[in-house]
This record gives sequence, C-alpha cells and structure tokens, in this order.
Amino acid sequence: MAKPVARIVALQVAFGIGLVLVLSRAGWLQLVRGSEFSRTAEKYRLVQLELPARRGSILDRNGTRLVISEEKYHVQIATREVSDTPLLKRAVVRDLRLPATTLHRIFQSGASRYAWFNGPWTAPEIARIRKLKGVHLIPVYSRAYPSGRLAGAIIGTVAGDSGRGTSGLERSLDSILAGTPGLTTNLRDGVGRQFESPERLIRAPIPGNDVVLTIDAELQEIAEQALTEALKDSKAEGGDVVFLDHQTGEILAVASRSAAAGTVTASAFTVPFEPGSTAKPFTAAALLTFDRVKPAETVSAAGGKWTYISASGRYSRTIQDTHVHNQPLTLAGAIQVSSNIGVAQFALRLKPEEQYDMLRAFGFGAPTGAEFPSEAATSLVRPDTWRDGQEGLSIAIGYRFVVTPVQLAAAYGVFANDGVLMAPTLVRSIRNVDGGILYQHAPEVVRRVITEAVAATVREFLAEAASDSGTGGQAQLRFRLLGKTGTARIAENGSYATGKYRASFAAIFPAKDPQLVAVVTIDQPGTPEYFGGTVAAPVLKNMLLQALSARKSVIDRGALADSDESAPAGAAPARPPRRTESEVGQPHIAAVRLPVPAPAPARASYAVVPNVNGKPVRPATLALHQRGFRVRVEGGGRVIRSVPSAGDSLPAGTTVVIYAARPGTP
Amino acid sequence: MKARGRHWLMLWLVLFLGVAAAVVSRQRAALLTARSLDSLRNQRVALEGEKARLDRQIEEATSRTVLIPQMERAGFHQPDDHESRILKADSLSPGLRPDH
Repeated sequence: MAKPVARIVALQVAFGIGLVLVLSRAGWLQLVRGSEFSRTAEKYRLVQLELPARRGSILDRNGTRLVISEEKYHVQIATREVSDTPLLKRAVVRDLRLPATTLHRIFQSGASRYAWFNGPWTAPEIARIRKLKGVHLIPVYSRAYPSGRLAGAIIGTVAGDSGRGTSGLERSLDSILAGTPGLTTNLRDGVGRQFESPERLIRAPIPGNDVVLTIDAELQEIAEQALTEALKDSKAEGGDVVFLDHQTGEILAVASRSAAAGTVTASAFTVPFEPGSTAKPFTAAALLTFDRVKPAETVSAAGGKWTYISASGRYSRTIQDTHVHNQPLTLAGAIQVSSNIGVAQFALRLKPEEQYDMLRAFGFGAPTGAEFPSEAATSLVRPDTWRDGQEGLSIAIGYRFVVTPVQLAAAYGVFANDGVLMAPTLVRSIRNVDGGILYQHAPEVVRRVITEAVAATVREFLAEAASDSGTGGQAQLRFRLLGKTGTARIAENGSYATGKYRASFAAIFPAKDPQLVAVVTIDQPGTPEYFGGTVAAPVLKNMLLQALSARKSVIDRGALADSDESAPAGAAPARPPRRTESEVGQPHIAAVRLPVPAPAPARASYAVVPNVNGKPVRPATLALHQRGFRVRVEGGGRVIRSVPSAGDSLPAGTTVVIYAARPGTP
Repeated sequence: MKARGRHWLMLWLVLFLGVAAAVVSRQRAALLTARSLDSLRNQRVALEGEKARLDRQIEEATSRTVLIPQMERAGFHQPDDHESRILKADSLSPGLRPDH
C-alpha cells in the first residue's frame, strides 16, 4: 500500500486533472459555444410577441360612443392539464353558454389534447374560468357597440380578429382608426407559463385615433325607428332618410332599410334613384337663373294631358298629370301642385346645356365626396346627345337621371343656403389617444350655384308646395317647413313597371332661418296610397316632432322659439340678415350656428386649378368641382390635359375643360 | 485569533448562501411582481369589460325603442305639434330664469 503522502499526491493530481477538465469544459461551453447556448436559452426562455394596438373609437357628434374596441378572448382548453373536469364543464356551459354535449364529446373521446372555442368572450364572461387549470385564453381586440348597431350600415364592419375595416367608415377610415402594433418580449418559465416584463417592452403599441362623426345619435335613432315603422305601415320594400345641416354640410342622420332583405343598408349613399318631382325645383332654378320665365307667365294645364310634338314632327310624347288641373299654371303654381305638364312646358325654354350645367352645378352626376367608401356613381346624359323632346323634358320632371338621397339633400341645401352648395361630410373631428385634435371639419363651400334672389324665389315655391294647398301639406307643423314631394315610377328591365313607385319628400326646416334639410324616400309602398305627399311627408313630420321633444335635440329650439309661429301657410319665408364678413370671423359660440360664407367678391374667390393629369375622369371632375370650377369633359378614360392647365389661378365658377383618353388611344 | 481553514470554509459558505438567498429573493420578488402585474391587468380588462357591458345596458335602457313603449303603457304620448311650447328665457319670471 502506498504511503499516505503518495496517496495524497495522487488524490491532488486526480483533483487537479478533474479541475482542469471541468475548467476546460466550462471554458469550452462559455467561451467557444457560449453565444450559441445563450441564444438557445433565450429562445426557450423569452417569447417575442406583437402587441395589438387598440382600434380607435367612433363617437357621435355629442360624444356618445357608437363603436369601441374591447379586449375579448378566445378559449383553448388543454384537456390533459385539467384537474377538475366536472367543475370546468359546469363553468364553461354556464359562462360561455356552450352545449354540454360538445364538452362531453371532447373529454370522452380523448382524441384531442387541445379544444379550441372561438368566441370572442368578454372579460366578465371568462372571469371565473380563467382561474381554472387547463384553460388558456387568447386575447383579441374586438369591436363592441354600446349603442347597439346605431348607424351600423354607415359605420360598417371589421374583419374578425385582424381588426381591418371591411366596409363603411371602418373601411374608408381604416388607416386612421387602426393603431400601430407594439412589440414585447415575455418571460417563460420551465412549465411554459408566460410573464410580462415591463423592462422587455421593445415598442409600445400606439392606439388608433378616435373619430367623431357628424351623426347625432338621438336623431339617428329617431330616423331609424321612424323608417322601420313607415316601411311596416306602408308595406314598402325599402326606404332612406337623410338629415343634413346645410350650413356646414354635416350629415346629422342617415338611415336606410331594405324590407326585402330585412336588413339595414347604406342605400342613401349607394343606391341612386330617379328623383321624380323632387327635381322640379332645380328646373325652376334654371329657368329663373337664365331669366326664361316671369312670375306672372302661365302655361296651359291642358286638362291633365299634354302632347309634345318635336320640331321635325317625327316624334311626339304625351305627358300626364296625376291630379288634373284646368287653370293656367304659373311656374310657382306648377311646382305647388307638382304639375309635370306645367314644368315640362316651361322647361322647353331652356337649352340642353343650360339645363345640364344647372344640374351639374347642384352636384348631380358626380360623387358628393363624403367619406363613405362606396358612394354610387351617378351620371347625367351629356346635353349634346339629347334628342328633341326626350331627355330635356324627362330630366325637367325628374326622370332619366339618378341621384342618391344624400346628393338630393345636399342639393336642397343650396336653396336653404342662399344659393351655395356645401360639401357633405360624415366626419366632424379626429382625435388622438391623448385627446389632441388632429382634424376638425371646416365647412367646405363647393360653389355658388344660384343667386340669393333665385334661392329666395325657389324657397317661396317650396313654401307653397308644402302648404295645405300644395302636395306636401301633410308634413306641415307649427314651425313651418318648406318642401317638395315626389312620386316617381320605378324602372325595371328597361321600362317603367306598372304600379311601382318611389315616394319621396325633400324638405327644409324650419321655413324661417332654416336649420336642416331632410330627405325621405319610401320605395314601392304596398298600400293604395303611394304618393310622396301621403307616404313620405308624414314620416318626416313624425321625425321632426320627435326631434323637437328629444332630450338632446340637434334642432336649436331657442332659435325656433324666436321664429314667427303664426306665419300663414305659403307665406314667403324671410331670411335672417346675412352676417357681415367681420362677424364671420368671430369665435364660434354654441348657440350661433356656423355661417355660410357669403359669396366672396369676384377678386377674392380665385382658386388654383389642381393637377388632374393621369387621373380617371370622375375623381378629376370631383377635384375640380371641390375647388369651385365647372367642368367640361372631352373624351373618356384618364385625363391627359386640362385647359386652363394645372397651377393657373382662376375665378371660381370658371369652366375647366379636361381632355381624357383611354390607354393606347393615340 | 488566527483564522483556521474551517473558518474560511464557513465564511465562504455563508457568503455563498447569502448570495444565493439574495438571488432567490430577487427572483421571487420578480415573479410576484409579474403575477401581480398580470392580475392587475386582468382586473383592468375585466373592469373595462364590465363598464362596456353596463354602458350597453344604460344605452339600451334609455333608448327610444325601450322608453317610448313604456311611456305609452304609462298613458303618456309623444307630444303633438300643438301640445308643445318652447319657452324663451326672457319669457320666464325673473325668479325662474336659469341665470337667477
């Protein structure tokens, strides 16, 4: 046996060798492969996650929340992790309202280790099950509607968990509402549990911006409810209601229903219709503007049936009135009793270009530019293709051209606005998460369409039309309104269907110092009464009565109280004195409504021609209209040049000619 | 007194245990904080969800769809044109004016 010293030395050498081996291995692991192992460890210990950004809310003009983003959860159950199966089953059936049979099947078969339940469920709904073993929650932001689906068709929808807008304002304002996702690293323990670590936040999510609409929630509710009841009462196929603040262009309420589909729609923007007699005031405006009629001039009412024979004698057409009149009609009288014969005879005095230009100036045949993403493309037949006695006469009485209810409301706003067309809008302001204002809607004047005098005269016509002796008397209430009824036949498969009508009523309320414009259309009433005056006009009266007694009425009741309540029917409505330029510059006070900018002196209303080269004709026309120019289009396709050219400064109202060609055309 | 080998051993052991205890307590505190953060976050989300639910209930309960039928059942009706009058502030007696 070796001596103790030798044994100690041997032991020391062995320890030394062991130590060297350990140090070598440690050095190898730390120095040579350290970074690789470090990466592997991080991979298992740290999880990088994208933090979804909360989508912005959509509010009404008074701050009522119409749409919010709420954190909700999908549920995953890891069946092998569950410790108390009966308890879990009871909780899931009770809180998630899932059928017990589904859970029995999942646990009995034992085939799947994970069961996925696609909610999403709200936090209160999963509050109890989140504490149970085996339950994994997958959070997502989901849209919630505190006010129900008020204005649902206009607001639109988002796609599932992606949160991207797919229709309505959710789509057109998607880039504003969607925030910027953040990035973080979570810590994971040995059994896979994840823990948030504030220090490992790489990038915080930036919430989307909030959008304040011009919609008034209470008026919207009144409109939706009244429309639903009206469709039921009149057994109609559908209908639309639009309320517009003509002074600012703000759309206060817009409701559409389709009884056939049983759904809400956005047809006030998307489905154009022939306006029928509600278009007669535009013909009157053209006649007055081009001085083609004197107040006392009359035409024959022709006993309710009038035949036009073209100059060549080869074409004739007969126009009839539903209500037969025998007395000669002035222009005012023709509008009052809604005589097709009267208006058609007066319209013969207009040149096609004059009639066409006037309708274009009112905004027809071009999109309004409101933020709704799928606004219908409406068009007007170009005057150089009009045939003698056909398009001109039809257009004068509201046929052969189509409008959307929103376009019609904006156009009636011209009469209320002393001749100025305002651009309609649905967005009042945009705020960031801190409440900072990113955008505030400023009333946008499109152009002056008619003079103040012509607007005042047409308002007198509308007062007569909405009086007891006119067709719209059933809409009248104590605070007088101005309006025009329409009962248009509906075209199907290239001809007008028998017994199918669209009743409509366009109104300005109140007659004195107007506050809003409204349009009601009822599509195919199924009752014996199908006229605009008997079907659509009472709906508006009902809505106005409700709005007047609403808690937070959009109608300025103080201003109404000041108006003359005892004004006789048909009395010429007076306009309040227009504010001076200096008053226009005063700060906005709650009770004072935003004034329509007075027609600027010729020198002051210059605008720069925008560059529209390369754009399709429609957006190019819209861009020019929005700057107050009239537009003449030569050719089709994309714009190749404009005369005057981009950058030129011209008075508003000047005609800009745009030349367009299709790609490949020489 | 001269420190012997076993004293050094004890010292190193105590030092090691001290460091290990500090590490464990820090880890424990971090885990507790993370759990508490998670719990607070869940509470916040639950409260937000509850608030949204209550908001929905309030909106629904105060909507015209609910209120008007109740009002009609109680014998009231929507005021007609001739049944309402808008009062102007200057038409009220001084004591009733809002600015008094």
